Amino acid sequence: MAKIAYYPGCALNERSSHLDRSARDATVRLGFELDELDTWTCCGAVPPVSKERVMNLIAPSRILKNVRDSGRDILITICDFCYNTLKRTNFSIKTDDITRKRVNAFLADDTPEREYLEKDDTLWEDYAGEVRVIHLMEYLRDELGYEKITENLKRPLKGLKIAPYYGCVMLRPQNEIQLDDPENPSIIEDFITALDAQPVKYPYRTECCGSYLSVSSPDASTRLCYRILTSARNSGADAIVVSCPLCFYNLDSRQKAITEAYSDFKPLPIFYFTQLLSVALGVEYGRQGFEKHYVDVTPVLDKIDISTGKGDE
Amino acid sequence: MSENMGLAPPKSPPIRLTREVVNSGFKQRVNELSGQHMDACYQCGNCSSGCPLAQEMDILPNGIIRLVQLGQRDEVINSETLWICASCFQCTVRCPKGIDIQAVMDALRQMALDEGVDHFGPDQIDPEQAALVPQPGLVGVYRKLST
Repeated sequence: MAKIAYYPGCALNERSSHLDRSARDATVRLGFELDELDTWTCCGAVPPVSKERVMNLIAPSRILKNVRDSGRDILITICDFCYNTLKRTNFSIKTDDITRKRVNAFLADDTPEREYLEKDDTLWEDYAGEVRVIHLMEYLRDELGYEKITENLKRPLKGLKIAPYYGCVMLRPQNEIQLDDPENPSIIEDFITALDAQPVKYPYRTECCGSYLSVSSPDASTRLCYRILTSARNSGADAIVVSCPLCFYNLDSRQKAITEAYSDFKPLPIFYFTQLLSVALGVEYGRQGFEKHYVDVTPVLDKIDISTGKGDE
Repeated sequence: MSENMGLAPPKSPPIRLTREVVNSGFKQRVNELSGQHMDACYQCGNCSSGCPLAQEMDILPNGIIRLVQLGQRDEVINSETLWICASCFQCTVRCPKGIDIQAVMDALRQMALDEGVDHFGPDQIDPEQAALVPQPGLVGVYRKLST
């Protein structure tokens, strides 16, 4: 089975472990394995605020250099923050000579002594942005092909209306990320269609959920999430699908605060795209970590017609 | 809906424009840190109209840019807007002049933080939240809002 280098990042390693597990379950059924890096650190979650703060590029650069040094050229991430940070770091290193020199000077300087002992005959090779950072969904679309998912469906999600939620950092800034159109994307819609479910159109799919403001200004995030969730529900969605742990947290857990603040609010279940994928590929519900969700997902699961599929294996 | 909805009230203490203030080097420093050219902005307001958080701000994004053009350092650096911006890049994507407004906000945050005062510290976090928020939220908020 093909093994692809995989960077889980801190959230998937712990608080969003259900995103990690469902991704691993699903990819194995699609014929490739997410091969977690032997050593990795936090990527820093957000890119540095200015070019002067080159130190903030070191952690993501070290991760990327280790991937390159291990002889691999593709790195898969799932968390949108890791994706944004790693991809933008790579972009700076690739396109800006000064950044590349400064980053490599730092990396060379903090190479541990044991590396000199073990392979003192290997020459230092500057990291120049050789690794391609790709989102798991991008891999499914471009490398595997969504049609491969459709061919392997064990439990088609026929009849489910799913609203895609892109959020901010998965698509933007577009000149560096280049995943899809930043204003009118279709990568998640096409993914939903590949699962035999129906994508729902609504206006707020690329509008920010508040991101890290959830910690510093929770009320602002509550207002934004209310707008996104009600819009999706009014457009007929049974559920929203996301790929980012922070979007998930904001849209799911924040529904408690939204219910208290807005009397007209009705909860809407939130899924990670990997959960829907692994459910559709026949992985049992018990492995999806649904107990970690604030909003009950059973009304949605009940709509999945298992009589049309082959059910649990 | 709370009373915070709607546009932020106009904040307009009279400002006195002198050559010294406008050419004080503030705008040049923002250009340098952000890699953007502040004078490219012609005040169309597209950034503010697309900003999902505009209603929470005391000065709208296009107002921030205008004040930077005019060298109004204190008003910009003390604005709540810097700490409400969630760096979602909506403005950056929509600017017809190609200004990366998010990078401008980052540069301004850095200048504010260079004064040594954290806008959000570990003591301000709600413990219930701290136990639940995925790590990118925690790392992100401290990277953006504290020194």
